[in-house]
Amino acid sequence: MNSFILPLLLLIPLIGAILSVAMSRKQEYAKYVAIICSAVTLAITLFCLYDLSNADYVYAQSSAWIDTESIKISFAVGVDGMSMLMILLTSLLVLLVSVFSSSEKDRPSTFFALIMAMEVGLLGVYMAQDYFLFYIFWEVTLIPMYFLISGWGGPRRHYAAIKFFIYTHVASLVMLIGIFALAMQASAGGALDFSFEAVKAASMAGLFSPAFQLVVFGMLFFGFAVKMPLVPFHTWLPDAHVEAPTAGSVLLAGVMLKMGSYGIIRVCLDVLPDGAHQWQTAMIVLAIIAILYGAYACIAQKDLKKMVAFSSISHMGMVLLGIAMLSGIGIQFAIFQMFAHGLITAVLFMVCGIVGHNAGTREIPLLGGLAGKMPVFAAFMMFGFLASLGLPGLVGFVAEFGIIMSFFEYLADIEVLWPIVFALASLMLTAGYYLWAMQRTLFGKETDKIDLTNVHDVSKLEGISLGVLCALIALFGILPALAMGLIENMPLVLWGVV
Amino acid sequence: MIMDYAWLIPLIPLLGFVAVGFFGKKLPEGGGYIAIGTAIIAFVISALVSYEYLTGDLFAASQPYVADIQWLAFGKYEINFGIYIDSLTCVMMLFSSFISTLIFVYSIGYMHGEGQRKRRYYAEIALFLSGMLGLILASNYLEMFIFWEIMGVCSYLLIGFWSFKHPEGDEASIKAASAAKKAFLVTRLGDVCFMTGLFVLLWSFGNLDFTTLFDPAEIAGADGTMILIGSLLLFGGVIGKSAQFPLQDWLPDAMAGPTTVSALIHAATMVKAGVYLVARSYPLFIQNADVMLLVAIIGGVTAFVAASMAMNNMNIKRVLAYSTISQLGYMIMALGAGGYLIAMEGEVEASIGYTAGVFHMVNHAFFKALLFMCAGSVIHAVGTEDMRKMGGLSKKMKITSATMLIGSLSIAGFPLLSGFWSKDLILEAAMEPSILGLPAGTIFLFLFALAAITAFMTAFYMFRMWFMTFKGQPKEASEHCHGESPRSMTVPLIILSIFAACSGFLIFLGLNNIITFSVLDHGSGVEYLVGGFGHTAGHIFESIFTNVWTYVSMALALFGILLAYLMYCKGSIDPARFNSNGESKIYKFLTARYFFPQLYDQIALKLGYGVARGVDYIDKNLVDGTVNGISNAVVGGSGSMRKMQSGYVRDYAAFIIVGVIVLVAILYVIVSWGGA
Amino acid sequence: MIPIEFFLVLSAALFCVGIVGVITKTNGIVILMCIELMLNAANINFIAFASYLHDALGQIFVLMTISVAAAEVGVGIAILLHAYKSKKTTDVDDLTVLRW
Repeated sequence: MNSFILPLLLLIPLIGAILSVAMSRKQEYAKYVAIICSAVTLAITLFCLYDLSNADYVYAQSSAWIDTESIKISFAVGVDGMSMLMILLTSLLVLLVSVFSSSEKDRPSTFFALIMAMEVGLLGVYMAQDYFLFYIFWEVTLIPMYFLISGWGGPRRHYAAIKFFIYTHVASLVMLIGIFALAMQASAGGALDFSFEAVKAASMAGLFSPAFQLVVFGMLFFGFAVKMPLVPFHTWLPDAHVEAPTAGSVLLAGVMLKMGSYGIIRVCLDVLPDGAHQWQTAMIVLAIIAILYGAYACIAQKDLKKMVAFSSISHMGMVLLGIAMLSGIGIQFAIFQMFAHGLITAVLFMVCGIVGHNAGTREIPLLGGLAGKMPVFAAFMMFGFLASLGLPGLVGFVAEFGIIMSFFEYLADIEVLWPIVFALASLMLTAGYYLWAMQRTLFGKETDKIDLTNVHDVSKLEGISLGVLCALIALFGILPALAMGLIENMPLVLWGVV
Repeated sequence: MIMDYAWLIPLIPLLGFVAVGFFGKKLPEGGGYIAIGTAIIAFVISALVSYEYLTGDLFAASQPYVADIQWLAFGKYEINFGIYIDSLTCVMMLFSSFISTLIFVYSIGYMHGEGQRKRRYYAEIALFLSGMLGLILASNYLEMFIFWEIMGVCSYLLIGFWSFKHPEGDEASIKAASAAKKAFLVTRLGDVCFMTGLFVLLWSFGNLDFTTLFDPAEIAGADGTMILIGSLLLFGGVIGKSAQFPLQDWLPDAMAGPTTVSALIHAATMVKAGVYLVARSYPLFIQNADVMLLVAIIGGVTAFVAASMAMNNMNIKRVLAYSTISQLGYMIMALGAGGYLIAMEGEVEASIGYTAGVFHMVNHAFFKALLFMCAGSVIHAVGTEDMRKMGGLSKKMKITSATMLIGSLSIAGFPLLSGFWSKDLILEAAMEPSILGLPAGTIFLFLFALAAITAFMTAFYMFRMWFMTFKGQPKEASEHCHGESPRSMTVPLIILSIFAACSGFLIFLGLNNIITFSVLDHGSGVEYLVGGFGHTAGHIFESIFTNVWTYVSMALALFGILLAYLMYCKGSIDPARFNSNGESKIYKFLTARYFFPQLYDQIALKLGYGVARGVDYIDKNLVDGTVNGISNAVVGGSGSMRKMQSGYVRDYAAFIIVGVIVLVAILYVIVSWGGA
Repeated sequence: MIPIEFFLVLSAALFCVGIVGVITKTNGIVILMCIELMLNAANINFIAFASYLHDALGQIFVLMTISVAAAEVGVGIAILLHAYKSKKTTDVDDLTVLRW
């Protein structure tokens, strides 16, 4: 059972994608294929979670794929607490997104096939235990997302899709060079072994000199930073989000951005601990810039979805801040924040999708007084915004509290306390832009700039998706130990850096 | 042991919130009765728990009852979740749940005409009550902070209750939405300070449990500077939540919500959370005399500033809002003065400042809730909040006018009513450091003077309000007053007025032993004790009536009432003489609220929106400009390269030939170079 | 004996004439003729070196070249004739059907 459960997890969405494409004659059934396959995936994920409670890397499974004299690539997959949390997030969001978008009328069979293909790539990234495999899955996620944006997007979709593709692709090429460098250094003249295990062993054996670590960390970090995305490499994100369909946005912000931070923890911190220490100050500075820059950019945005996109940049900056602490707490809460942000941002993008779809525009100055017309929608929007601004009792607060706490601990250790102000300022700014946006869209005078006569409230399926997400946000906010237990399950010693 | 079930106290209103929120549509009065039911149950359990604690061994030994479970553990830190009951908790939860019950009942009448929105209203106030009781029972600072923020959100939602489809039109909706945002953001500033304080304390102590943080041995073992920073930051939270100077300006705007909300959240309970936090954190705060001095100064200045703004306001609810801020300032000042004394003196049994502050908090909850509910009753009847349009209402609304008179007398400090006792204790506490000749004695003397002037102003503006509303000639809005409010509104008024009149006597009936804070030195080490050691009734009675300042403050209060009578009822002194018909500079300064709204707006505009515009510009032009520039350079470059691909064979041939010639030339150079 | 350089210069000049013709002319037949010139320039080199080095291999190669050139001209003229039939021109700039 153990040996093929992870490949099975990859196989089911793949089958879903193929079946969904095959449905081109009966387009209206494609959504059922997607929902069933993603539900099965989620069920398997939950079974794994249940089964995982006793060990780490339980399902580690490896079989040679390309095995020659000079190069060794294996199909190696395995999970620990962090991967499992991300896999859970992925399979959950894919299911909810499929339910949410089940009223998609435009070429549904291709649409759902792309979503399922996306799931294959994302799950693959989170379970790969071989750098080559990791890279392949990393690139696989790009393609469905490119087609989702360019096929189902807004008016500037081609620009956004190409920008997204090229920008992230160039970054991943830099990362690929870094991966080659790692593998070559690790195999020291022998057969090029790309497996995590071999590279980790080389790292433990001290084969990576500090100078090597400094350079390779930089290359890998650049690749991951563009994905996160980090200021100043972020500009593909707002464009991609504004143009992407809701399902694309949710997956993009909810799971795809996390690939970047996941990569930093899994690769950079794990095998290049010296590099991490050399880059620490730079990472902190970049994280703070991202946090504040994202928050300020939010205030100035007129498009609701663009605002949410910038808020993602700010929150991912928070993740990097946690990672940059290079301490157990920082990394644990960074992972928690990745999970929290995935849940919350899904709500936010769904809300943006609903407002764009129902009211016909997402321009904040054109909206106003929507709470009267769409009370359920208003409740969800408020919940999402409050969760995102870190309201205690909801999942975002725990993550932010932990990250800033680790930051404070770091600062207290070096006895320079004032930079904490930056992290705190972001809390104020976040509250500011969310409340201001709510004031202008939900409250006040009912807008007369757009026609509201036919505007209807959240539909039943949309309500179910949002309701599940909100319930989870509250659940993990009240009982964060549920997720923390999983994160702690990741063997801490594995992070060479801590 | 009913105390083991004390966690039900916040939980039951929370269940009420869920029930009303999901099923309120189908329930009578939008689920209002459920909300009342949960409040009553919470009150009953609170009463039972308090009874059990206060009659038990723990109280006799001044020890708290603590029960908690681990919530989250990370690194070397541990966060628990639980309940912490001492005498302060008992007092707080009793009056909070009691007043909430009365206000919920009152809401049935007041909110009757709101239709579908009632569900939202009752759900939110039930959640609020849960937050308040949770805050009071919390066993550590993080738990407290969580409930603190939940209350903040409820306050936000309820201030913005009419932020869309306001019955008075769009303008009012816009104002309500803006007021709600302002309230949340201004208190958020304080909350961020509070949260930072938590980081400091968590780092210093390893957890945030009161039992650890209030243990003298632990405090002695921690870094003193960190405790100083931590307590200052905690006080930052107080400044935000309890609307202290300079973050006081959100509270008057918060009056945009329903009057019941103003009574419950912005007078009786939530704004008291800050005062409660100071009282609760006494063991930490008294470690540094300067912190306590700052607390006292902030309190005194707030009391004075807010009272001055109340003197010429024409909105009945805003007068009460300023009055609330002013009274909160009193409490903070008393706590600061008492704490300063402990910090300087070391061993103090039953600090008078602490007792005065907490006592005033209890009394104020009663009479201010009463006043707000009376104001609500008036507004309900006349349909306006502008006092200039009222007048002569005492004939039409007998119960309201009588109960409001009791409330006004009480807050003004009329002898033997509740406000009198606590206010006198506060003045005494403020005076004490200067009598004892402590270093900051002159500052406290000045604060005492401020407090005395504030006492006069309080009497004046309260009676100005009462006379303008209930006496004199009926004005336009009084005309369509349809008589007294329904029974569900007047009964709570009567009950509260009894408490507002008499709650002061509680200090002679046992409260003197409950709301105390003592520092005892056993030689082996100091001990911080809440409750148990009080001044006797006789001692309090004696110290109040043998003190000459008592009579001065009494005279000031009576003079204020008299002046208000002459100006606004009898009309023998024309108010216009003092303010040159509203033209004088000081009048305008007060009307403009010391220009605080402009200050806030400017800060938000410059630090928020201004920087944001700059960042947006940089983002669009510099950062994205670079990206697009690179892509344009590539596309443009390829465009010009493309021109070379003419499609004419001879062009390609020419390129090949030129290429070969260049290659040969290079080779020749290399070879000849190498040869040389 | 005539120095080898003379042959080489002659051959280079002939080659350049051919190149210039190929690059500048648009008439297909003239281009074919110029290609012939270039081939012949190469032939001169072959023969010159064959004589200079006393090696008959160069002369064999010339024979080979001549036959390949004849075939090439045959195919080229056939294409041009065909083009002329359908397009009424042998100008290569007008024969753009296959051009992208």
